[in-house]
Amino acid sequence: MNRRFFLVLLCFVVPFSLLLANVIELQFWTHEDPNRTRIENRYIEEFQKMYPNVVIKRVTQSSTKIQELVLTAFAANQGPDIFNMSIEDEYAYIVNGRVAPVNYKAAGYDNKEALLKAYLPGTLAPVHYEGEIYGLPLEITNWCILLNKKVFKDAGLDPEVDYPKTWEEMVEVSEKLTIREGQIITRRGFDFRYPYYLVAFMPMVEQLGGKLISDDGKKAIINDEAWLKFLDYMAAWGPNGLNLGSPTYKNARSLFNRDNNDIGMCTTGLYQLARIKADNPEFYESKEWMVVPFPQFENAVNYVPAHYYGHYYMVNSQKPKENQEMAWKFISYMLSHAEEYLEEVAIIIPTNELLESETFKNYPYSDVFISDLEKSTVVYFSEFSAKVQSLIKEAVESVMLSRVSSADALNTLRRKVQEVLDDQF
Amino acid sequence: MNRILNRGIEHKKARWGWFFVLPSLVFFSIFSFYPIINAFYTSLFRKRLLSLRPPTFVGLDNYEYLLKSPDFWNSIKATFIFTLGTFIPIVICSLLLAAFIMSRKRFQKLFQMAFYSPAVLSSVVAATIWLLIFDPRGLANQGMNFLLGTVGTDYKWLASANMVRFSTILVYFWKYIGYFTIIYITGLASIPQSLHEAARIDGANGWKDFWYITIPLLKPTTVLVSIMSMLQCLKTFSTQYLFTQSGAPLEPINVITLNIYNTAIRDHNIGRASSMSVILFVIMLFFTWVQFRASRSGGEVDYM
Repeated sequence: MNRRFFLVLLCFVVPFSLLLANVIELQFWTHEDPNRTRIENRYIEEFQKMYPNVVIKRVTQSSTKIQELVLTAFAANQGPDIFNMSIEDEYAYIVNGRVAPVNYKAAGYDNKEALLKAYLPGTLAPVHYEGEIYGLPLEITNWCILLNKKVFKDAGLDPEVDYPKTWEEMVEVSEKLTIREGQIITRRGFDFRYPYYLVAFMPMVEQLGGKLISDDGKKAIINDEAWLKFLDYMAAWGPNGLNLGSPTYKNARSLFNRDNNDIGMCTTGLYQLARIKADNPEFYESKEWMVVPFPQFENAVNYVPAHYYGHYYMVNSQKPKENQEMAWKFISYMLSHAEEYLEEVAIIIPTNELLESETFKNYPYSDVFISDLEKSTVVYFSEFSAKVQSLIKEAVESVMLSRVSSADALNTLRRKVQEVLDDQF
Repeated sequence: MNRILNRGIEHKKARWGWFFVLPSLVFFSIFSFYPIINAFYTSLFRKRLLSLRPPTFVGLDNYEYLLKSPDFWNSIKATFIFTLGTFIPIVICSLLLAAFIMSRKRFQKLFQMAFYSPAVLSSVVAATIWLLIFDPRGLANQGMNFLLGTVGTDYKWLASANMVRFSTILVYFWKYIGYFTIIYITGLASIPQSLHEAARIDGANGWKDFWYITIPLLKPTTVLVSIMSMLQCLKTFSTQYLFTQSGAPLEPINVITLNIYNTAIRDHNIGRASSMSVILFVIMLFFTWVQFRASRSGGEVDYM
């Protein structure tokens, strides 16, 4: 009897005491990255010690899965307190009022101007909406070309001299590096990162003078000549052309770290260096790899490196005010460790303080990445960027794999992107 | 007096019947009826998944858009190619396999287990295994090159339009053939042995026995298998989803369910996605009705 009474009492007392203690539970959803998990779990512990009434639950998912989970959770009004994704996927949350503007005081800034001043100019532009800032960047990433020197030497090339500077050279060099058994490629010289058409493929079109959408945002596909040249290039790259690579092969970036003589070059960001170090320390220490700038077309009319994208921490606007305030405090606490993020995870939190630090300047190949970043512009982002990206994917894959002519693929792409623009509501 | 007593017992039995089916009715209402009604209701609105604004009533606009959309018709085409390419071979091959297994005196259980095991795997795991097989350097190319005596030919399992259609059909066929074989084995086992014996006494050989005794008496099982496999095929999703995520071209395998998913999750357009699901529901309902009608045309099966 006493035991039963005690249990019933406990059931009432515990929730009441939690309520009285005003415990704030923050759900923090983010993508998987073992290097980040290690340090962020420590930040959580430290933050919870500073604020004993706060409980933070960090949940990780793969970078593709998290987009669905966050979306469906928000659709059911059950989104997490804090989340981060790439800006192309996050922008719709800002436009639809699903995320709260930065609480400047809680984030440690006097006002919006002080916040803007602390970051590299332009890096907060994607989250600047109707006079407010809606996210703080966990990372700003641009891609360059990562190169395996051993593969170059094996093909009789000098990586320091013979690395491709133009897309035309990329074909020539790849032809020399590629090994095939009949039609099957056993070693690719280089291959693209196929799902990321807005980040790594659109710059190729823009180098030739093309655009996705007109400046007034009303017309899709500008400069057919540039688009056709780009699509012809991709068709020639694919299995029905020169057979240098294909979206159906295992993605080049994942293979690169293993150093298994199956890939010579891939497109990737600075974060890859920390992953090589973690996955294959021997290869990392051997220095048999290097980073070179994003190539340009020989007759490019614009110098366009890969577009940069950002992962921004955002806070759910449907959560209570005290949760929002605490969430910004916690985000700010994590981001105050910018140098550790660079050293341990190789991601760039674009604060002026970090970019001017010796840690950043001494980081391997940071000069190559920052040089491209300075000339780079932000990736196309809108409420419909995910759809637009998949439409470009369809067009490129149709010319590479299904023998659709570049002109037909372009007409289909134009029709579909125009429909997206016309259908905005 | 007896009639009143009987009615009382029947009433009592019926009440217990209702009691026992109630949980499944409640379950079905919550997880099937409600989503169907809700999908139909949502399909009449212009609604964005993330929008906090109230949805706009647009009547049948979403349906009108879909019926004019080349993409939607492409999805219908992709779904029908997949369904016909999968469910007809499944129905025929599972019947033949079941007859083969039943004719074996030994290793019946072993065969059943071997054929059934892929059905236990989740569709995602199955598609992932097949992705490795269909990799240009994978087992599929190696096997074909060995069998056909070709060297280094890439059969482009995931790259060319026709091959990627065939690949999705192959994965589904491999995964579900065992499941439907087991259903046929159950059907075959329920045919009284005396009918086969009588046919043999009357001079029927193995083929005639199979054609004139087994096949007609298996009609209820065949109807069940064909309806179930057709519905499964119309609802196919994960294989196509994983293949397109891994670089396969979208258009040839953009089945209706994949289009629904992309419209809802990628484009956030839940109203239009709901209209597509309603159309898919109507298609499934129609073909199920057609199959029922067709199966009734030959009369009922009676073993006595």
